[in-house]
Formats: sequence, structure tokens, C-alpha cells
Amino acid sequence: MAQNAIEALDAKLAALLADWSLSTTFLALLLLAFVAYPIFYSPEPDTHPLLLARQSSAGPVRSRNESANYRSPEVPYGFPLKSGLNVKDAGAPRWAPGRDGDLRDVWREVQKGDSEGGDGIVPKGLIMTVLGKEEVLEHEVEDLSREIGVMGKFLQERVGKGSGRVAVFLPNSVELLNTIFACAFYGLSPILLPYDLSHPTVCEAINITGADALVCAAGTLPLEDVAKHCQNLKLLTWVVEKSSRHMDWSGSPNSSLQVSVWHDIISENATSTATSLPTNQPSDKLGNLLTVSQPVDSTQPPTITSFTHSNLISATAALLAALPVRQRLNPSDLVLPADSLTHTYHLCQILGTLYTHASLALTPAANPHLPFSLATRGISPTIILASPATLLDHHTSQTANLTSTLQSLLHTTHTQTLQAGRLPSDTWLFRLLAPSTTASANKPGTLRLILTPHRLAVPASDSPTLSSTQLSDLRLLTQTRIVYALTHPAVAGAIAQTNVFDYRRDDGQGPAHFGVPVSSVEVRLRSDVDDDVAGNRPKGEMVVAGPAVARKAEDGKGEGVVGVGVKAWVRGDCTLALV
Amino acid sequence: MDSNMAHDNPQAPPAAEVTTVFTPINLILFSLFLVIAYMRLRPEKPAASTLPQPPPPTVFRIFTPPDLRPFNGTNSMPVYLAIRGKVFDVSSGRNFYGPEGPYANFAGRDASRGLACGSFDEDMLTEDLRGPLDKLEDLGGEEMEALRGWEERFNEKYLVVGKLVPVGSPEAEGDAK
Repeated sequence: MAQNAIEALDAKLAALLADWSLSTTFLALLLLAFVAYPIFYSPEPDTHPLLLARQSSAGPVRSRNESANYRSPEVPYGFPLKSGLNVKDAGAPRWAPGRDGDLRDVWREVQKGDSEGGDGIVPKGLIMTVLGKEEVLEHEVEDLSREIGVMGKFLQERVGKGSGRVAVFLPNSVELLNTIFACAFYGLSPILLPYDLSHPTVCEAINITGADALVCAAGTLPLEDVAKHCQNLKLLTWVVEKSSRHMDWSGSPNSSLQVSVWHDIISENATSTATSLPTNQPSDKLGNLLTVSQPVDSTQPPTITSFTHSNLISATAALLAALPVRQRLNPSDLVLPADSLTHTYHLCQILGTLYTHASLALTPAANPHLPFSLATRGISPTIILASPATLLDHHTSQTANLTSTLQSLLHTTHTQTLQAGRLPSDTWLFRLLAPSTTASANKPGTLRLILTPHRLAVPASDSPTLSSTQLSDLRLLTQTRIVYALTHPAVAGAIAQTNVFDYRRDDGQGPAHFGVPVSSVEVRLRSDVDDDVAGNRPKGEMVVAGPAVARKAEDGKGEGVVGVGVKAWVRGDCTLALV
Repeated sequence: MDSNMAHDNPQAPPAAEVTTVFTPINLILFSLFLVIAYMRLRPEKPAASTLPQPPPPTVFRIFTPPDLRPFNGTNSMPVYLAIRGKVFDVSSGRNFYGPEGPYANFAGRDASRGLACGSFDEDMLTEDLRGPLDKLEDLGGEEMEALRGWEERFNEKYLVVGKLVPVGSPEAEGDAK
């Protein structure tokens, strides 16, 4: 009986296999390939999913009506927050702990480029200016150092050491960087005026901060008005473009205001001044760096924040460390700020760029609303610092083009790949989805990272929020990893920043989460109802503390603490999100 | 025998001159392919967070000596002790500081004097819980040095979960609410 059944089965099987034909072979091979492919090319996610499941570390103790302190996993509870760049002086013992450093050390590190270091030749980063479509100017570090020295001395002689305050109203340019470094080397305090401020606001900011000198782009401010409204101003230095240098810019409307021209100062002192910058002395009193931002209520005077060098340096170090090792800034990178450097997030990223000997491209066109396609014109950066507004415009214009069924199918599969933790690689399929941004892909250096900071306490039009789905789409449209940071005028650098490898997509229109606090700050949430902040998912007003937070009083000691005035909550994966 | 018949009756030998792709074996392979393709391409559910929830953070409290007294490890309470006004959660050292441990006397008490003098006797503890805190003014340099050493070790090892103040101090009343 059993044998019969087996025989019958055998006969059935033989009959079935008797049908084997060429098409069957083809089907079988297809099936085999389909099964075998993921075994041989197993798609590993870019980071371990558990690393995204709990991202920040919460302190074990909290105060009443406050949540625990949330920190970057680099600096868990009990460890000191990141305070500096760990600068090793020449001749210091190899394993001795380094100094925190200040802005001068960043420039000194730039000067070391191409020289013999402890571990071989120190790489040299390029500093470039991109003008218009084609023109790319490369700057020699020696020339820039000389300009820093000459300008620093010039400003110091005229506005006094220590107390001198130099307002800067320039687009992104080497002159802006030079002024910042000149002030750092000569104990002056630069005041960074955002280039999109209106003229009356510039005068107002100059008066509030009590600036002694103003460095601004030629012709951007009406000289008569400045002289009339800013009585304290002693010195005005025009930065004149090459094409306008034939004109006479040195005329002064009254005797109290001295007017000078940047390139004249440089050429007059080209030979007389020694090219070396002053060395660090322990007695040096460093100036502060003042930033100006427009408050939410536009009738209010601009918000002025005074950052010390240690605020900026700790933020720089934290931002450098916030990227995982594989994605960190390195000498092969070309960084392009597509947004103004007067924002400390971009400024600190640029300081990090200089410190790590990565190349830097500055474009005077940079502003929060610069179209994304214009940002990459002329050069192909590997890292772009862009404002959310730029990205949002790009998203709107590009998704409008996604109309065909094929494109939406691709979009779906790529989104699934992102969900699985991998950034879809550059394939020919991708070009169908995002044709316009791949135009520059044939040049050396492909875009690998976009850093974009959301700004708190500024008018909503200046910093639109990006939702998780928009960020996910933008990752596909730009084929790039995107880091979304949370910033506040009183905190240098960022408060929190998303993980580079966090591609998870949450449905909904609300702003995306902001990842974990960077290692220069800790974040806690405060609420009048203790139950709101008691558990593992607290919700309340965000309070930020740490070495990157500006202190209230000018000479205040201890850590800065600021309530940033927004309600936030900590999600299940220990990332911060706004309510 | 035409192809239709061959299709209807799989046991019949197929005609050599007629081939069709719709053979049973092809259909089986093809449906297998479809099933695998569906399993591969269906939307993946994100892996559920398998991490255990950490314990909720302890609230930093202001303790008076009577408040601190119950935190001695009995009745499944945590074990706390105070050194120079700092209250440490020593529950992880329950074997030492918990009930029946060699240092059980210190649990729920101000242990400063005992640790400074290296003595675990009852008379090292402040008798009057409602009185002022032990100021340790009569201790010598060596003893204070020992106490500092202990405090350092405790800071490294245990969590500071509160502050010890005498009964009736404004801080204590502010925290009680």
C-alpha cells in the first residue's frame, strides 16, 4: 500500500519533471538568482539599528520639575562636556593632554599646512572664493596671514586693545574670515552683522553693541547715514571688489569718522609689516565674538549674543566629533557654506573645516535663500552647509518634476531602501529620479553630506521646518546624507544634531526630530507638572547648558545656561523633537 | 495528441514538436517566484525597539535626618547614606550598607563622622535626628583627610541623589510642598 503510494508519487514527479524545458530552466535560474542575490550581496544597513534605537544618554538623577539631563553618548553622565579642540603645542610631551585652544589656534593649524609635522607632512587645505559662474580664486595661506596681521594691527592701533569692537558687514568672503581672525590675534571683539540686515537695523546693532569700527563691503551702506546715526563709530573700512577699485572710496563725511579702504591698507603695509602673527601669550586678553540675530518680533531690537572663544571652540570640537568617524571632515573634503557665516553653526563648521585642513570654498552669494542648484555652480563641493529654506525650495521644485509612474515606483523602492537603513547608491536608475543634481557628478568630488541648521528664536520665514518625509525625499533627490541640526542664538554651534545614518522616516507634517545633543551641551526639559518630565519620555520647556552656551554677564564664570523658549519632548529613541 | 491534451493530462508524454511554457512545473516555479518576490518587496516593518527601558531617573531631593531614616534597605527601600551633606544612593553596595551588612549602622544616616574616624559604632551617629547636623569641628586633619578620601570614592562609585539639611531649614520646607 505504502509502496504503491510512493510509486504513484514517483510517477507524478517524473511526469512533472518530464515537462522540463528551456523556459523552465530559465525560471529556475531566475528563482535561484533571486534567492541567492541577498545572500551574496547582503544589504547591510549603514549603521547598526540598535544604535538608532537609543541615541542619547539620560542622566540617572533629575531635579524636581525637570527631566534628566540628556547628553551625547560620547559624554555620558559623569564625564565633562567637550570643552575644546585638544590642541597640542609643539614640543609638548606626546601623551600630555592638549589645550582647549582658541580661534588663533585654528589659524595656526591652517598655517601648518604643507609643513613637516610629527606624523609626516601635514595636509594643506585650499581656501577659495567662487565668484559667479566660472571664476574660482585660490588664496595663498601666506597672503591671508599677512592680511590678518596687517588688518589686526591697523584696527588695534585705531580702536584700542582689549575693548575694541569691530562690526563686520560682509558677505561670505576671505575678508570676513580675515577680520574675525585679525580680531582674535589682536584682542578685539568682532561683531558679525548678518548680511541681509536692513540699513537701519545695521546702525541700530552698531549702536547697541557700541562698535568702534566697521568693516563693510563697499557701497552696501550709505556712508552719510552711517556717519549720522552711528556717532560712536571711529573707523570705517570699505572692502572694495576688484572691479570697483578705480573709484576713490576714502572720502569721509565728517572729521570724527575715519574712512579707509581694505586693499589700500594691505598694499601700504605689504612690505613694512612682518608677516608673522603675534604668538600666544598667557597674559593675552581675548575678545569676544558678538552675533546679531533678528528676534521673532520684528519690532524688537536685534538680539545680541556675546560668545567667548571657549564657547566657539567647544562648539567647533563638538560639531567635528558629532559626525561618525567614517563621515568626519577630512583633508579630501571641499566644504561650501551656502548660507551666511554670521550664523554660528556655519561659522563653527568652517572653523572645524580649517582646523582639519579640509578645503573651503566661499561664495559671496551665500544667503539663507540661495537656490540649491546655484550653490554647486562652478565647483563640486563634498559638503554643503545649507539653510532649511534652500533645501525646502529644492524639495518643492524637484518633487513637482516627479510625475511619471516609473519615477514614483523608484521613489517608493528607494524610500524602502532608506527605511532599511541604507542610502541607495548612485545608479543609472537614480538619474531618472533626480536628473538635475547629477549634472556635476562627473566632476571630481561628489557631494556626500549636507548640513542644515534649524534656527530657533528667529522669524519663522527665516527658518522653515523640514518634516521627516521631506528630509527623506531630499536624501533621495540629492543622493546625499543630510544632517539636521537645532540651533539657538545663545548657543554656539548646535544644540542637537541628527545622526548621519539616521534615515528613518516618520509620516506626518510636523518638524523632524533633531537627534541628540552635541557633546558641548546637555539638554533638559522643564515643566511645572512633575509627571510630564518624570518618565523616559519627558516633555517640557527646553533648557540648554554647557560650555557652548553664551553666559549672561560679560565676565560671568561657570557654565552658561539658557532656556530656549520652546517645548520639546524626548522620543522613545532618545532623540529630541519639538512639540 | 495535441498540446491541449498534453496540458490537461500531465501524465501523458509531451509531444516533442509542441512546446508550451504553461507546464505545471513552470507554473509551480513561477508561483514560488511570486511568493518570494512578494516576501522580499513587501514593506518592511521597522524592527521593534527591543531595548529595555532604563529605570526612570531618581529625583534629587532635600532630606532632613528623619526623612533619610527610612532609606536603610529594609522594607525593600533603597539604601541611602549621607556624607557631609551629600546623600548617596548606595543600593548597589547593599551587601555592605544594607541590613545585616557590616556598615548597616550607616544606612539612612549621616555617616560622615563614622567614616572619618573609621569606626562603625553607634556612638558615631548623630543621636538627635531633629537637631543640627554634625559639623565635624572636633575632628583632626588626618580624620578629615580620610573623610575626603571616602567622599571621593563615593562620588566615583555612587549616585548623589540628594542633599542633607537639618530639620527646619528653609530648603527642607521649600522642597516638601
